[in-house]
Amino acid sequence: MEEQIAELAAQVAALQASAGVTNTMFAETYYYLTIPLMIIIHAGFLAYEMGASRMKNVLSSGVKNILAFAFMIPTFYFFGWWVYWAFPTGITLSAGAAGISGAEYASSIAFGWGESAQYMGPNIADQASGVFFGAFALFACTTASIMSGAVIERIQTVGFTILAIVLGSFAWVVAAAWGWHADGWMVTMFGLHDFGAAGLVHAVAGFFALGVLVNLGPRIGKFNADGTANHIGGHNMPLTVTGLMLIIVGFWGFLMACVIVPGESWSWFADKGATIYGTPITLSALAFNILMGIAGGIIGAWIYTKDPFWMMSGALAGIISVASGLDIYFPGLAFIIAFGAGVILQPCAVWLEKRGIDDAVGAVTVHGTIGLYGLIALGVFASGYPALQGEGVATVSLVGQIVGAIVFFLLGFVPGYVVSFILNAMGMLRTPEAAEKAGLDPTKVPAQAYPEGISTSPAASS
Amino acid sequence: MGFPYDTADWAVVDGAMFMGWGGSAPGIYTLIAAIICVAVLWMGNSSEKAKYEDAEK
Repeated sequence: MEEQIAELAAQVAALQASAGVTNTMFAETYYYLTIPLMIIIHAGFLAYEMGASRMKNVLSSGVKNILAFAFMIPTFYFFGWWVYWAFPTGITLSAGAAGISGAEYASSIAFGWGESAQYMGPNIADQASGVFFGAFALFACTTASIMSGAVIERIQTVGFTILAIVLGSFAWVVAAAWGWHADGWMVTMFGLHDFGAAGLVHAVAGFFALGVLVNLGPRIGKFNADGTANHIGGHNMPLTVTGLMLIIVGFWGFLMACVIVPGESWSWFADKGATIYGTPITLSALAFNILMGIAGGIIGAWIYTKDPFWMMSGALAGIISVASGLDIYFPGLAFIIAFGAGVILQPCAVWLEKRGIDDAVGAVTVHGTIGLYGLIALGVFASGYPALQGEGVATVSLVGQIVGAIVFFLLGFVPGYVVSFILNAMGMLRTPEAAEKAGLDPTKVPAQAYPEGISTSPAASS
Repeated sequence: MGFPYDTADWAVVDGAMFMGWGGSAPGIYTLIAAIICVAVLWMGNSSEKAKYEDAEK
């Protein structure tokens, strides 16, 4: 009998070990796959802003977008990942209650040198750090891409790259530490809830772009002497619209990466998924609400504009408007909020344009304004929800969400304005007038976008 | 440099397994990579400025 029990116990232990390996491999694969999905976001932004550029600037727009991606990865490795773990409790860089924050903790896991390097490179005992780093690095790339489209056709490449680094490897990372971490002070003190990063990614990036646009100024020919605006059409609307669709595809990976899978030593739960705050979530919740958000945004934009550019921007705005509460919205409510975002989208962009801001792709509105709209909408509907796991935690409130909106606005706008002001003073922001008029491709890109022009061929006879 | 464990046997590997682990090499590589990024931005800016000057002639 004892022998049989021992044998059974050994079998159970073997099964548990096997299940543990499967779960660990699942968790690693889950986050690994979010990375190529999020690269699709970048592919989408690339197509989007190249299509929105005039033919003389197509490749130049592409070069700066590709460079933003390339510089974001190493700079996020050098210091962005450290910022995320060091800053949650505020500028004191002290340790928080959850024990996974503060300068000392960050320095022990997020630097590519010393003992900490073991978590920043191949390690057979660590199947989490690399995929988490990768997912966050791609969040960073997304923020840089958001800014990238707004400033096309007149920004210098290196000046833009420096701005992208400040945004992607610092500004939004501080926002994430404060509002997207179990020790984040906006979460623990104000009950901020921003599951899908409407505020801390989209609003920060959108208003960073606004800060840059103030110093960068409009493209030549955008505004008339009386202040009225001219439409500067891109050379390829189908490419732009397809790019927007790619962004939407990629956002499934982005939002999937916001879920903490169960069953690992670092998981919140053994048996269910969690948000980054430790509150429960399912992928089914995401499926319901992302789809309803996309649909609501498109329909809202169509009713007002009938324009495919704004309809696809509406889809993106729809997702962003419900991103904060994708885990807890009822699908019908998600649709209503997203519909509202789609309706207000173009009027908000026009309002900004009337104030002399030349946002070439509407990024400030789609990401900035709608990001804050979504953040505050959650405060209206979700008040009273516990913001964290555990007893006596802060709850979601309208005040908390408004505080978050103000902080995210400032975390975007202020560094965007200040750094672009400095770059402008150093002559590194705006391209010279002659180059802008001639086109940035013939000025500095040793390749042609369309060497044979864009011509049509006769159809073959049937 | 080379295999970062005393015995050249994968069975003894229980943690970090990249080249240079346990020494100063990772920090040196990271520093060089960072210097490359800064230098490329510096050179890229010089090159860009030259192109703009050509366009203005």
